[in-house]
Amino acid sequence: MNVAEFRAGLTAWLDENDLRPGPEHSLDAHVEQLSRVRRALYEAGWMRYGWPASVGGLGGPAVLRAVLGEEVATRGLAEPGIYSMIEVLTPTMISYARPELAAEMVPLLLGGREQWCQGFSEPGSGSDLASLSTRAEQRGDEWVVTGQKVWTSLAQYASRCVLLTRTAPGHAGITAFFVDMDSPGITVRPLRTMHGVDEFAEVFFDEVVVPGERMLGRPGDGWQLAMDLLPHERSACFWHRVAHLYTRLDRLLEETSARDEDAVGAAYLALHTVRCRSHATQRRLAEGARLGPETSVDKVLLATAEQRLFDTARDLLPGVVELDDTPWRTEFLYSRAATIYGGTAEIQRNIIARRLLDLGKE
Amino acid sequence: MTVDAAELDLLAETLRKTMATHTGSALDTALRELGWAEMLTEMTDETVPVVFRLLGETGAHAPLVNDVVLHASGLPTGTTVPLPYAGGTWVLWDRADGAKTSAGSEALDGELPLQRVADGNPVPLAEGRRALGWWLAGTGRAMLSLARSHAVDRVQFGRPLASFQAVRHRLAETLVAIEGAEATLRAAEDDLGCLLAKAAAGQAALTAARHCQQVLGGIGFTAEHDLHRHVRRAYVLDGLLGSASELTREAGALLLRQGSAPRLTQL
Ligand SMILES: Cc1cc2nc3c(=O)[nH]c(=O)nc-3n(C[C@H](O)[C@H](O)[C@H](O)COP(=O)(O)OP(=O)(O)OC[C@H]3O[C@@H](n4cnc5c(N)ncnc54)[C@H](O)[C@@H]3O)c2cc1C
Repeated sequence: MNVAEFRAGLTAWLDENDLRPGPEHSLDAHVEQLSRVRRALYEAGWMRYGWPASVGGLGGPAVLRAVLGEEVATRGLAEPGIYSMIEVLTPTMISYARPELAAEMVPLLLGGREQWCQGFSEPGSGSDLASLSTRAEQRGDEWVVTGQKVWTSLAQYASRCVLLTRTAPGHAGITAFFVDMDSPGITVRPLRTMHGVDEFAEVFFDEVVVPGERMLGRPGDGWQLAMDLLPHERSACFWHRVAHLYTRLDRLLEETSARDEDAVGAAYLALHTVRCRSHATQRRLAEGARLGPETSVDKVLLATAEQRLFDTARDLLPGVVELDDTPWRTEFLYSRAATIYGGTAEIQRNIIARRLLDLGKE
Repeated sequence: MTVDAAELDLLAETLRKTMATHTGSALDTALRELGWAEMLTEMTDETVPVVFRLLGETGAHAPLVNDVVLHASGLPTGTTVPLPYAGGTWVLWDRADGAKTSAGSEALDGELPLQRVADGNPVPLAEGRRALGWWLAGTGRAMLSLARSHAVDRVQFGRPLASFQAVRHRLAETLVAIEGAEATLRAAEDDLGCLLAKAAAGQAALTAARHCQQVLGGIGFTAEHDLHRHVRRAYVLDGLLGSASELTREAGALLLRQGSAPRLTQL
């Protein structure tokens, strides 16, 4: 299956199968819609392309997933941020879970049967992720986890969590587990967010027992797992997000009566730039390249473009963010987080300075 | 005629050496001997980016944008043609060196034999914009490289400048701008793509000029240090065939006219 065949088949199918969301804007509705879209796309096969047969996929190049996400975003079928979590979670399972575990679990995620979350950040460990302190102690064949995670997106909906714990000091003492969220000892407390969509939560672990076979990789592989995950986020996910942002620029052009050519041009140029960069990254991936710190460039370009776009919307639709309760307000506010989640803007610049410009230590 | 990656690397090596020792009309002649005319007519997509990027990186110059525009117009190369400049004005990029022209050069970048002319005829813009975009990206890389070396070598407060986060972030910001611009240049195929690429490259070169000048401090403000040559070149090239701010505005006007944002690169 090549890109052209896939896109043609997919768009024809989507034209016939109406998956558009209802009028409800609550997070519950978004998550329900996300499950519905994933379920339908999985059952029709589209969601399975680009993933290996070992996890229920139908094979084919990874770029097919980017095409699927682009269509989903362009048609506004699912919120792109939560839709794209599969792009981070599935490759992690493929690389680090026991093959039987990955084969059993991944279809539940791709097929819209379950939501999963990613428990990395802690109250004391955000940018300095390697300082995390949620403990896992071995007890026979099991591990016992105690500690706290925070800002865990979708934790309140999640059946499973990819969890980073500390099993020994230092970077080499971080170990990842695939934890059932209904395990005794887990408490999820949703957090209110600034933009009103309460997508993340605090998660407390009180002597939670996790079977040893749920470890992802071996003891001490957790840091590498976290590092491997970022480039995944920065390939297909970014392409989805860029496609989504183009739809918002289109919407702005429809709604604004201001003729501010400079502002519109600058917003477009920033989007076009990250689109071209992201395209090149997809291509490198397709050629078998291992993505690394250079994807921090993609991340900076994307966060900058996203904030510029919504700043422009706020300027060219005067009062809409401040006085009217429309999606512009929510999305404008959410764009403020673009320089925080997934590694802050400053952390990206630190990585670029250290790893790409070889400037040595700070 | 096609050219593979190894041949391109070899070409780049030759060009780099030539540009290290020749500039202006001497480089023009040397490039003609290296087959510039054939490169332009037979493998323009592969070679024009290399030639123009290297002009930027080495700090050499040659009147080649004439040829790119002439070729795109279906005319023979090797002469000159009035070129649009910022603000609806026109310039001529002489094939003789500045000092040898009767007028001399009054351009901010005095090395370039560039002067105002009263007017000109419309010329195709896309190819020239893409070529100049590569030149600007190369100029940006040259400035970044100077600033990087300085940051690593110079010590203040007992530490290399490169250890100060404010300095590191300026250089990181510069690299992001250049890499982003290069991505738009590689993707530039049609008129709009080339317009956007020139805008991104102009912006990247101006970003590089601002940050690198700052990181170089006083030494970067001296005429002995090479930085000012690249800074001047960036400003002058930015205006040629439309400045970053003009082209950005033009893109905005197009979007407002057609009511949607073209998606130029497809998977
Ligand atoms: C919407 C949203 C969703 C999220 N979803 C998840 C999720 O699903 N799972 C998860 O694990 N986490 C999630 N996070 C958490 C996110 O990863 C962290 O917020 C992020 O890593 C930053 O950590 P912090 O908030 O502790 O900020 P800090 O690390 O405390 O940083 C605060 C400020 O200091 C700056 N700073 C810190 N260190 C340096 C440095 N070395 N140099 C320069 N500046 C520095 C930062 O750039 C930032 O500006 C989410 C966050 C948001 C906003």
